[in-house]
Amino acid sequence: MKALIGNINRYALHDGPGIRSTVFLKGCTLHCPWCHNPELISPEPEVAFYPERCITCGDCQAICPQEAIHLESEHRIDRNHCNGCGLCVKSCPSGALILVGREYELEELVEILLRDRLFYERSGGGVTLSGGEPTQQLLFISALLERLHHEGIHTIIETNGLFSYEQFASACLNQLDLIFFDLKLSDSDQHRQVIGYDNRVILANLSRLLESRAEDVIVRIPVIPGYTASPENIDQIGQFLRQQKVLRYSLLPYHPYGLVKAEAIGVTPDQTLPRQAMDQSELLPWQGFFYDMELMST
Amino acid sequence: MTSITLDDIGLKDFTLQTLPRLKELRSQYFSRRPEICIERARYITKYLRYHDNASDSPEIRQAKKVSYFLHRKSAQFHDRNLIAGSTTSKALGAPLFPEFFALTLWPELETVSDRKKNPQKLTHEEATELNLDIFPFWMDKNVLELTRTRFSNPKCLQLFENLVFFIAAKAGCISHAVPAYSFMLEHGLSGMIAMAAEREEALAAATDKKERQQADFFRAVQISLQGIIAHATQLADEAEHLARVTNNSEDAAELIEMAAICRRVPAGPATTFREAINAIWICQVGIHAENINMAMSPGRLDQILYPYYRRDIAEGRLDIARAIELTGCLWLKIADNVTMVPEASEELFGGAGTVPAITIGGVDANGEDAVNDLTYIMLRVTELLTIRDPNVNARYDYEKNSSAYCRRLAEATLNTKSVPAFFNDKANITALTGQGETLEHARDYAVIGCVELASSGRDYPASSSIMMNLAAPLEMALFQGKRPITGEEQIGPVTPDPSELASFEDFWQVFKTQLDWLIEQAIQLNDYMGAVHQEMMPSPLLSALFIGPMDKGKDLIQGGALYNSSGATHIAFADVVDSLNAIEQTVFVEKKYTFNDLLEQVRNNFSGLEGEKVRLYLQNHTPKYGTEAPIARKNSRNLVQHLFNLYQSHTNYRGGPYRPSYWTMTNHAGLGGISGALPHGRKAGKVFSSGMTPVSGAAPELTACLNAVAELGGELVPGCWALNIKYTPEADVTTMSEYFAQTIEAYFRAGGQQVQFNIMTYKMLLDAKKHPENYPELMVRVSGYSAYFKDLNEMMKDELITRTQYGLTDGQAVPLPPLQ
Repeated sequence: MKALIGNINRYALHDGPGIRSTVFLKGCTLHCPWCHNPELISPEPEVAFYPERCITCGDCQAICPQEAIHLESEHRIDRNHCNGCGLCVKSCPSGALILVGREYELEELVEILLRDRLFYERSGGGVTLSGGEPTQQLLFISALLERLHHEGIHTIIETNGLFSYEQFASACLNQLDLIFFDLKLSDSDQHRQVIGYDNRVILANLSRLLESRAEDVIVRIPVIPGYTASPENIDQIGQFLRQQKVLRYSLLPYHPYGLVKAEAIGVTPDQTLPRQAMDQSELLPWQGFFYDMELMST
Repeated sequence: MTSITLDDIGLKDFTLQTLPRLKELRSQYFSRRPEICIERARYITKYLRYHDNASDSPEIRQAKKVSYFLHRKSAQFHDRNLIAGSTTSKALGAPLFPEFFALTLWPELETVSDRKKNPQKLTHEEATELNLDIFPFWMDKNVLELTRTRFSNPKCLQLFENLVFFIAAKAGCISHAVPAYSFMLEHGLSGMIAMAAEREEALAAATDKKERQQADFFRAVQISLQGIIAHATQLADEAEHLARVTNNSEDAAELIEMAAICRRVPAGPATTFREAINAIWICQVGIHAENINMAMSPGRLDQILYPYYRRDIAEGRLDIARAIELTGCLWLKIADNVTMVPEASEELFGGAGTVPAITIGGVDANGEDAVNDLTYIMLRVTELLTIRDPNVNARYDYEKNSSAYCRRLAEATLNTKSVPAFFNDKANITALTGQGETLEHARDYAVIGCVELASSGRDYPASSSIMMNLAAPLEMALFQGKRPITGEEQIGPVTPDPSELASFEDFWQVFKTQLDWLIEQAIQLNDYMGAVHQEMMPSPLLSALFIGPMDKGKDLIQGGALYNSSGATHIAFADVVDSLNAIEQTVFVEKKYTFNDLLEQVRNNFSGLEGEKVRLYLQNHTPKYGTEAPIARKNSRNLVQHLFNLYQSHTNYRGGPYRPSYWTMTNHAGLGGISGALPHGRKAGKVFSSGMTPVSGAAPELTACLNAVAELGGELVPGCWALNIKYTPEADVTTMSEYFAQTIEAYFRAGGQQVQFNIMTYKMLLDAKKHPENYPELMVRVSGYSAYFKDLNEMMKDELITRTQYGLTDGQAVPLPPLQ
């Protein structure tokens, strides 16, 4: 069994308790303009190009069977013709071309994740599945979580909440120690306009999760200038969480990290987003909306 | 058995503000410039010229020579330090040992005081005395020349003098030892002299040659130890004299107390903490009259001094503030000397201290927690002073020592940005039991100099005997026994042209042929020089402070210690492993390049666009040591295993085995500077990686790096290693020290033997290189020891700057900024 994985971040300290390895699965159903990992949205491998490392040797152009690489073009890769085969990446001496997305066999991935077992054990850490949207590769993560659970590794999923509840629950709920569940926009129409889907399934899934696992759900709200960071939106999310008796939440400060990565895969980033990261202190005013819930720092 | 009574193990209430004497001494320390001290050279030359009796045994000649000096060594009180005695006559002195390399100063007598880099002050009168009287006497009498004469200028000596293959440290020192001070404190030197006299007496009628030699040894011990007592008496006389001529009654009282202490110890047994500290220090001064000031390590002082500390505290003679003050005074005394470094050696050794190592924490002989109040006091002193010497090393047993202890070590490291270094008790005890040491003895290990291990006072490991440049045999394997730097000269055996080899395994054999040949040359030279040392530089004084010689009636240099070995350390380990990986991957697995392509590029130093393309490919697409790439793991393991087998199969002149280790001082910068391009994409003249540390930029993930290094640890590395890790400083020390400690524990559980840190950024170090005046006290870890950044040569500064910097919040390598 295989999964397409964008990256494995070992020694992750911001994806749950302790020292963790975070597996970033490729492919996502939503298209948030502020996405931290825009290179993980597509469910196919993609070639990222970092011009500052390029020595213009031309080996990539010579080897490309699709004739999708043009040295004289600023973006180098004609995305309409590139099929992500990765031959150019193998030939690129300088590391200017990077293949995002590689298939891992289940056992290969488990072996890599277990290498850091001592770090998890010493720190109360474990493995976090992130993405993309990990539930897009549900069968794989079901098998992965079962293996990890069997090894006694603490597990977390970070999800956008858009999945079939029955399938999700039967595939992996019992093997998950914590669920980080993202809520972005409370207004369903706005959600559809900005992200591509409305939020009804997401909200319903959260409600159902809370029925059985309220202790283990942490709702995460990204605070994005121009999108989610409005008093109305945050207030409504706060009220929804209160109705649902959510116990723990976390606010994610905006970071422009995704913009550079979007450019590398030939996607023009949302120009309205600031190029400045948000400071932790800028989250303080928003925390008032969640006064009766426990703030989790992640 | 934990013996912690402190309310706060961090001792945060004690600062330099509350300890004005330490503050004053520390600031004086930083204002001092090194001065060359010729006292020792003067008196040993006088002794040899006017009093030496060639029919005396080597041990007795040495004892008389050292004792003659100790009787005449001036007693100096340079500051308000509470401990009497100093290594040299100068406040910060570089003593001269003409038996070794002192003569390299000869051409620089006029310039050494004013040279640009690390000047060492020498007065005109002293320079003249050296020039006209002292140096001429020694021209043909130092270890190097005696070896040349006695063994007819052998090939191994010529290889060493070439400097690019290996360093035979015996030309410059053996030292590198940890004495057993507990016995001395308990019995006093007078008691030890009486024991030696008794043993000599018992052999009075002996006619057997071996027994005569034993009697001579016991005689030599008495002469040497009497020299120390004579010097202590002079210190007492001088202190009393100064007390009489000072107007300050407080100073006078202190001097009178110091005089009384020097009259009691080290001649008699120590009865208080202060006496014990001063007795140890005066013995260290005595050891330095005999042995050169290089890594003469006091050892586990938190264990040795603890009984005296505990008794004084219990009986109200001592409080914590005073214990901190006295410990701090000892630290500053230990830092009172530097090595004499001629300008030509600055490239290799510039900025190094004398690396006397102190070891704290860990377990006791029964394997139980040995951390005590004094451990934390010594840690606090180290944190408050943040000075280069002593080199403070913390042992940590993750099962027996508390996690509070590990967190406190982490916190101290974050505060000092560099010390202490961390040693894994489990792995290091395994390394020593693997050498045949008993479990109890192995548990009592202390660190010598940089990182090397020795059972305290039982192990004479000459731990820095050989420093092998592993890049040399690699180049010789690539070029059929020649090296680009030595041109057409056939150095090693003629091995097959690599381009004719069918497999990587064949190349590995060729590499081993060159490696083994070169190591055997180094071993031969070490044994030759050992034989010269046995004649001209025995150590009866140091032997008396060891366990073994007094029972065997044999000097350390003759194999008198309980455990005897010679240490060989290795330079360019990571670069050589990565080169092997690159050859295996690109020539034999992928077949991307032919061996000839690769050789051509290496010969041309990857010049031109094509060369740069190949170089980047090798750098970016080949397996790296410090990751878990299977080829890299295999090659690193094979190299460590092979070196272990090879060294262990040789027996040294004292009857012990050779022990491999992996630390490099600053040699990885110096030797990198004169080595050619290598197949992993390193250009000629670039620094090598330090110690056991992966090549800068080659190990992007912290946990993978720690795992890859850790799996090499244990029995195969009996001399230990230095792993350098650089972390980005974080504002939140509390949170950071938690992850810091957890990470160390995981690395230790995986088998890692040692790790040391620099908590600093590329940016800060770049700024310190550009504006040294703004960083007068910036201390960094080099490879097993600390140095002041400003004192290092430019190559070494660059090596420190480019070391991989990991974020402790994400475990990833921080991208290296463009370097100007």
